[in-house]
Amino acid sequence: MIELRDFSYTYGTAEAPALTGINLDIHFGELLLVTGHSAAGKTTLALAVAGILHQEIGGHFEGNITFKGRDIKSFDGIKELSRHIGMVFDDAESQLIFTTVEEEIRSGLENRGLPETEIKRRMEEVLELCEISHLKHRAPHTLSGGQKQKAALAATLALDTEVLILDEATAELDTKAVKRVFSVLKRLKEAGKTIIVVDHNIEDFLEIGDRVILLEKGRIKEAKSPGEVKIQAGPANSETHDKEPHHARGKGEPDLSPPGKKNNPIISVKPIISVKQLSQRYEEVRALNGLDLDIYPGEFIAILGENGSGKTTLVKHFNGLLRPHSGNVALKGLDTVSSPIHELVKHTGLVFQNPDNMLFEDTVEAEIAFGLNNIGVRGQKASEAITRSLELVNLSEKREAFPRHLSRGERQRLAVACVIAMRPELIVLDEPTTGLDAEESDRMMQLMRKLQQEGHTIIMVTHNMQIVRDHAERVIRMEAGKIVEDFTSTRAAEGGIPA
Amino acid sequence: MKEIMQYINRDSFLHRMNPLSKIAAVTGIIALSVFTTNPEILALMVLGIFLASLKAGLQQELLRQLKLLVFLSITLILLTVFTLKSGTVIGYLIPPGTLAPGGMVPVTTGALDFGTVLSLRFFAMLFAFQLLVVTTKPSDLMKALLAVHVPVDYVLMFVIALRFIPSLQVEGQKIHEAQLARGYNPGTGLGGKIRSVKPILVPLVANSLGRTQVLGLTMDMRGYRNRQSVQAHKLEWNKVDVVAVGCVAVMGIGVVLGGLM
Repeated sequence: MIELRDFSYTYGTAEAPALTGINLDIHFGELLLVTGHSAAGKTTLALAVAGILHQEIGGHFEGNITFKGRDIKSFDGIKELSRHIGMVFDDAESQLIFTTVEEEIRSGLENRGLPETEIKRRMEEVLELCEISHLKHRAPHTLSGGQKQKAALAATLALDTEVLILDEATAELDTKAVKRVFSVLKRLKEAGKTIIVVDHNIEDFLEIGDRVILLEKGRIKEAKSPGEVKIQAGPANSETHDKEPHHARGKGEPDLSPPGKKNNPIISVKPIISVKQLSQRYEEVRALNGLDLDIYPGEFIAILGENGSGKTTLVKHFNGLLRPHSGNVALKGLDTVSSPIHELVKHTGLVFQNPDNMLFEDTVEAEIAFGLNNIGVRGQKASEAITRSLELVNLSEKREAFPRHLSRGERQRLAVACVIAMRPELIVLDEPTTGLDAEESDRMMQLMRKLQQEGHTIIMVTHNMQIVRDHAERVIRMEAGKIVEDFTSTRAAEGGIPA
Repeated sequence: MKEIMQYINRDSFLHRMNPLSKIAAVTGIIALSVFTTNPEILALMVLGIFLASLKAGLQQELLRQLKLLVFLSITLILLTVFTLKSGTVIGYLIPPGTLAPGGMVPVTTGALDFGTVLSLRFFAMLFAFQLLVVTTKPSDLMKALLAVHVPVDYVLMFVIALRFIPSLQVEGQKIHEAQLARGYNPGTGLGGKIRSVKPILVPLVANSLGRTQVLGLTMDMRGYRNRQSVQAHKLEWNKVDVVAVGCVAVMGIGVVLGGLM
């Protein structure tokens, strides 16, 4: 159906090619999985296959791509190609143009000039399929990241194209939602659609995949059957092995087995965070519901829960971004209601999911200095703190770089550096591995281990079960604004955590 | 969070109106408020729009803009007082005897009149435009604009601008929180506002620019730029439509005749 012959491509301003010598036949009705590290050329390949490189982006091409035997260049722009190929991108927000989910799906169908009955039928079908019927009248900005991704997927599915390309389109979905996407893809495959899934983590889709393409530095390194991938679990998919915990691989780190006292807080040790009967509501929605929690110094905690269970709301109480509606939160004995945020942040460093929401300076150094200046650390002291935190996150050679030119993983680590430079006792990370490939997630977790060893208390909000299994010592699971489970994990992979 | 300029999913007589007649009425109101210099007509128009919002139960939406509009009006009136001298002097901004024996910055009736007219214009235009936006689904707005042959690229620009207002509000809030978490304390008041520009606006603008490619591709892939002709049945007229457009037209004629006489 789609053929790439000796295809090489270089972006307009780049020096090195993004793709080199790609030979690939994508067959009719196939489900192709494309994986690799970040910057391996996965997204570029997806854009090439969709015809977007030729039609929209331009650059230097070699070799050719044909769609159904026709040169992809010869199509009349994306408007003709889009009748055959649908693509879902990773940035869900940008794929929602209208103010309600329903309109989003409907307008695409109206553009195609479909009759009203057909529009209604397809709309109901995809709303049902993606489990977003209840969100029909909601505006995009009121949806969670996962819900936005589902809406973007539904809008593309509704167009019912022969080829469907998903480019990291499930990154923000929780396990349950990914399973749902899995069954949707299975159905589409049975209906004869050609599907290409591009993701750094293809584990969830191995079962229905026909072929796995592993990209490395813009070349196809291997093409395997999903069965083979499952058995071997190649280096790019370290997230997929269950048996080998990440920390066992070392990376020159000393053994990081936790000192016993951390797991068994003695009564004499004062909690660093003490939450009593905390409730919080956003307008009518009760986000937190009479929650009690004590966190002790030196713990490594994972907070789990479905989208919307109140995880992020809870951690925002730890540095005073939110103040309790009722109940109270004490940070090192300071009541968060009566202490100003800029005092509380000296004790709690909160790193948000999206590093791009904080980076604004012209150099990495200035970016870290911003936080330090805010808490009154300047001059020589600040410079030392910057050097130290850059060493910790392994970005020393990027000191003068422009923050927004760093890779996603580097930006995430810079965000952590900005916070740890301020030396807070407690470090809270909201979804620290979203958008990172396995290698980068691993690096991030090694960093957290190191910080824990240096005496910091670590709290991660995540839905990545693998990192919970491999790294967390204490696991807190939330549901509907309450803690439903709170237990000590053995940090090994012996399956102490119920799925 | 307060959302501004967003469609409100409700059922009122304004919602049931044809988007085209609403656009016609709003265009008419805007044109009228530019052409007329008669404060009575302008006040009447503002009152009319407000009554319509009252009937539709949307007065809260309009009142929300009051703070901005009052601020704008005061600025405009001050500006005209400073720059325009006509009619009779009714007093001095700096009374005689304080700085200069004769007083400084004379306040004239002409300036006050003109300032009021300018303010009322803004009231009328903003109120009318807001009622249009909050009572019309963006997709209907898009269809209506396309039906009167506004180029599709401009229509998309308009619709997307509306759509991203609340998203930018949400994102601005997130950025604000992220900076607060870094101990950022701009302080309150005007100084704080100015200091907070860089840490908040730079990420906001950079993120928005980063979004444009996917947004553009998505529009093309969903076929917005080569859409099929709009189905005619969507554009029905009802009594209210006729009344609304008629009202604006009558007022327009009134203004024209008044100008001629």
